[in-house]
Amino acid sequence: MKIDDWLHKALDIQAPWQISQLIAEPATRRLDLWVTLQAQRTGWFFGSRQQAPTPGLPIWRHLNVGQYSCHIHANPRETGWHNQLSWLGEEGQPFSRALCQQIAAYFKAGLGIPAICPLLDIAAADLWKFKHHLDQGLTGLSPAAEPTGTNVPGADHPVWLALLDGSRQLDIRALSRKLLLTKLRDQVQRINDSQVRSLKAHELQRYFVRHAHLLSHELAQLDHA
Amino acid sequence: MTLQNGLFTLAEAHALIEAGHFMTVAGDESALRRLPPGHWIGGTIPYFMSSHGGLCSRDHVYLQLIDGFAEPPRLSLRDIDQLPDICRLAPDNGYTLIIIPAFGECHRQFAQNAPTYDDMYMKPLAGWIAGVHLGELGQRKPLVVLGETGEFAEDKAAVIDVPLPVHRYAQVDIINPFRPSPQPVLHFAEAGFSATHCEIDGQTQKLADYLLGLKIDTRLPLIGDYCGAAINVSIRHIDPATGTVDFYAPVFPGVDYHLAEPLADYVSAFEAALPAGDAHPDFACNCVLNYLHGDLEGRRTGHIGGPMTFGEIGYQLLNQTLACLTVSR
Repeated sequence: MKIDDWLHKALDIQAPWQISQLIAEPATRRLDLWVTLQAQRTGWFFGSRQQAPTPGLPIWRHLNVGQYSCHIHANPRETGWHNQLSWLGEEGQPFSRALCQQIAAYFKAGLGIPAICPLLDIAAADLWKFKHHLDQGLTGLSPAAEPTGTNVPGADHPVWLALLDGSRQLDIRALSRKLLLTKLRDQVQRINDSQVRSLKAHELQRYFVRHAHLLSHELAQLDHA
Repeated sequence: MTLQNGLFTLAEAHALIEAGHFMTVAGDESALRRLPPGHWIGGTIPYFMSSHGGLCSRDHVYLQLIDGFAEPPRLSLRDIDQLPDICRLAPDNGYTLIIIPAFGECHRQFAQNAPTYDDMYMKPLAGWIAGVHLGELGQRKPLVVLGETGEFAEDKAAVIDVPLPVHRYAQVDIINPFRPSPQPVLHFAEAGFSATHCEIDGQTQKLADYLLGLKIDTRLPLIGDYCGAAINVSIRHIDPATGTVDFYAPVFPGVDYHLAEPLADYVSAFEAALPAGDAHPDFACNCVLNYLHGDLEGRRTGHIGGPMTFGEIGYQLLNQTLACLTVSR
């Protein structure tokens, strides 16, 4: 396994997400990772595109990587606030869900904040804030119930190819969705390679993931598939 | 006082630019050249839909103001090689407005290739094609301008990228006053700004002969069906000698095209097609062909104004359509 793949696995960052930028600061033993949807690949020779780090994104402290603290930068509009990814946290919270679970395990084992902080190299203020939110019921540890109509089927779900080959229809409201679907349907008609067709399905799913907050009408129809 | 988009005198525009507002500007070249440097991009066109109706003016400019952004918008001129990256380089959350001069290579390339650009349809893109006074076609060139430097260009695109806060999003819509006739259905084998043959209800025919034989009103566009979106392609010229039909936008294979049903009245048709309510979009533009064919001088098409241009952009090139962009929560 390549080192890059290992890092993704260790941090539970799975497709269609990828680490698009990594900045390591040895002096402070800090890793900053920007996680985005996998870049659209063009042409037959797939190449990755370096993306400059996007400033101003929410940051969640994630599981440590060796001696390094790990901080995930991600765009909630891209990931969807209701997306239950383990490397993301809830809005306004300092820790990713995976780190929350790790901290919760320490609490359950009887460890207090003064013991957990040096173990995980976490600032006491952040841990106090997290515990306060737990105690006040402002945050939880269980996966939240998915709001109706915001479930986006995974990229491998057959619904995407069905939409592209026309065997499944959707009542679509927005112009961009109609134009995109028209383009992808035209391309899929001329593609025989199953992997390339899968790539097009992936592209359509990526659009739905990115714009899930605007697609309740369309996603509700997929819920009834 | 809340500033609104609209037609302004040069003095008024001067003041708004000097006050530091970000905006797009439409106006005759002579007017644009009299504006001060500032945070604006512009394109030449002297036709407008104002709150008082359609008019042609060389002494006024139409301003569409940009505010509510997360950080200052980025203004630039892009040459033809940079066009394919328009959407890829656009803000992750925000929108992009683009003005392209008519008749140049940028115009042609964008028209043919925009659907294939990286991240096209993922990020909101709207804009228009700059033109000239119709009496000066062939004598003056459509131009765009980057207000920050004062550079005018005849074959570059003027672009403004607007980042938005996470709680706001932009949406591009079109208002098409035309309705497609259900029959016949036309298909084109190749993309292009012109066509000789096409498949009409399954039979390959010369399009020119078909249209001339039916005595089709060539002021009416063809309408492509994009999964329910009605995208117009206006007819520019029919050459009976060569049998070629030229369009103001390309036709594409894989799309069902229909003839448009005649319009009894453009104003009524636009008003019927407008969404309910009187909300004003943050950006809008319409087509000079609608201005001409609809006899819109002095007449209003609902409450949405803007330049009457040589083509509209709602992700891809449009004709005879009202294109608009709205920023919402």
